[in-house]
Amino acid sequence: MLSTLVSAIGFGVVLASIIAVAAMGFTIQFGLTNVLNLSFGAVMTVAAFSAYLANRHGVGGWFGLAVGGVAGAVFTLLLGRGVFKQYARRGAQLFEMMMVTLGLSLIINYAIQAISHNNIYQFVVLPSSLIQLGSILITRTQLIIVFISVGVLVALQLLLQLTKIGKALRAMAADPDLARACGIRTGQIVVLTWLLSGFLCGLAGVVYIVNAQSVGYTTGQLFLPLVVAAAILGGAGSPIGAFVASLIMGVVTEVVAAFGNASYSTVAGFGILVLVLLSRPGTVRGGQAGHTQLTL
Amino acid sequence: MTAWSYYIATLTVYFGVNVLSALSLNLQFGFAGVVNFGYIIFQAVGAYIAAVVVLGPSSGTFQQYVFGARLPFGVALLLATAAGAVLSLLIGLFSLRNIRRDYQAAILLIISLIGTQVVQGYVPLFNGSNGITGVPRPLSALPLNLQQYQWAYAGWVLLAAGIVYAVVTWLSRSAWGRALRATRDQEDAAAAIGLNVTALRLQVFVIGGAVAGLSGGLLVEYIGAWSPDAWGYAETFVIFTALFVGGIGNYRGAVLGVLLVPIIFLEVPRFLPQVGYPGLMDSVEWIAIGAAWMLCLYFRPQGIVPERRNRARRGEAAPHAAPVRERVGAA
Repeated sequence: MLSTLVSAIGFGVVLASIIAVAAMGFTIQFGLTNVLNLSFGAVMTVAAFSAYLANRHGVGGWFGLAVGGVAGAVFTLLLGRGVFKQYARRGAQLFEMMMVTLGLSLIINYAIQAISHNNIYQFVVLPSSLIQLGSILITRTQLIIVFISVGVLVALQLLLQLTKIGKALRAMAADPDLARACGIRTGQIVVLTWLLSGFLCGLAGVVYIVNAQSVGYTTGQLFLPLVVAAAILGGAGSPIGAFVASLIMGVVTEVVAAFGNASYSTVAGFGILVLVLLSRPGTVRGGQAGHTQLTL
Repeated sequence: MTAWSYYIATLTVYFGVNVLSALSLNLQFGFAGVVNFGYIIFQAVGAYIAAVVVLGPSSGTFQQYVFGARLPFGVALLLATAAGAVLSLLIGLFSLRNIRRDYQAAILLIISLIGTQVVQGYVPLFNGSNGITGVPRPLSALPLNLQQYQWAYAGWVLLAAGIVYAVVTWLSRSAWGRALRATRDQEDAAAAIGLNVTALRLQVFVIGGAVAGLSGGLLVEYIGAWSPDAWGYAETFVIFTALFVGGIGNYRGAVLGVLLVPIIFLEVPRFLPQVGYPGLMDSVEWIAIGAAWMLCLYFRPQGIVPERRNRARRGEAAPHAAPVRERVGAA
């Protein structure tokens, strides 16, 4: 009983680490630009397939992470500049922008479906040995994933708190107009945001398929609700909030899976989101939607 | 010739069902600004309920479900409508709180995904992923051959769609409908003059859910089967695309959109030569839906048939209208 619980928590932490990488990227993007980007999952899939293709062409092992991250960064920047900004110029507000990202995700996902012949491909990076940690039995790959996730969190926190760029990012998330008036080059910061969040998005896509050992066109899309839920739960723009929220969702998901019907596990994760919305609607309040503006 | 007649009759049924969906979404989204990205689960619950109450008690071996009964199809449709309304009430009670619209839409989308997972995971509810089959066709004892029956059913669906059309048009023109538009265009002002915004949204959500349930019931009685594949979250966006193409906030545009998007858009590819591997055309269809969606948002957010401006008639106070720019932006 106890060992089941402990090992479920162990798996929960692994799942949470994957969610967290994506959720931290999502929350930075969302906190700064205010775009509720539902094409985030599609970009994850693109990055995952990039890593898969790189792997097929001899880019070995963990370099796939870099490939996926760069692919995610470049693709996100292209979307941000080439699509989102154009719609914002035509007067799209928060809600219309979400619709745009949704249409975009349909196009990208089904384009991948068409290109990938709707197949699921094996993706085995490294044959991985099992490690015993107390009563938790996880693979070496999974342990590395946890370290990657914590590493991303630490790096992000350092970037945001200690560097000038981080200060500029936080200033823009708080008030873009004031930030511009203070001489922050807001355009550059937005580009940086696309690149940074895109990199994390791509990284998450690769980490996900490293763990799942397969990649298909639905890879990112199925994962997206968890990521959005974690980002909303943690509060927009807060990497540490996203990390903690991911941890809660991941652990609850796996514990429910261990003690009940596995198919309810994701439902339980979403249930938390609903509960949070019920208990603290103030965080996502927006009656005066005019006060929140897109920053692109 | 008979194959064509059969095909056209089937298309007519789908057209009628999609018109019901579009009317429901147009009432919710076009008139009240409620973005129901979980629409398809309300149609699904109507379909499931309509199916299980005519199938008879569950045998437990072939397929399992709850509420097995043998009710006449008319009662089944009423129950389907009620089921859509009840589910809408339950979900609306917590999702329609005063939160940002994009959050709200994302939450409803997540609820739609949860719904699919619950039904797939909990088999005793509606037979899981395999779905429910063998739903008998209503009034199959009628002295009609298959051809005539098809057309009779198509006529019946169109009649239902016509009645709902009349009802929602009347609702939108009523004082209640004006209040809805006020909450959509100027939420704060509407609240300030004493309109209960949340209650209005909940009402429109429940009415839309009832129409959705009815559409599901009509569809399942025609096709005779219903499974989670029939109500993926993406189906909701087909109807939304129809609304964008046709025009948001008016019902003729909604009907036109349904004719253009789910019918022509999704059916024409059947007659095109199949290129590539099997299944490629399905992907291309969805890409085209996404592209139509994006292009409409870019070039013509008000749709082909824009919403008619409300003009004051003689003897009636001029309604305070929102500037057009804002209206278009809200679309």
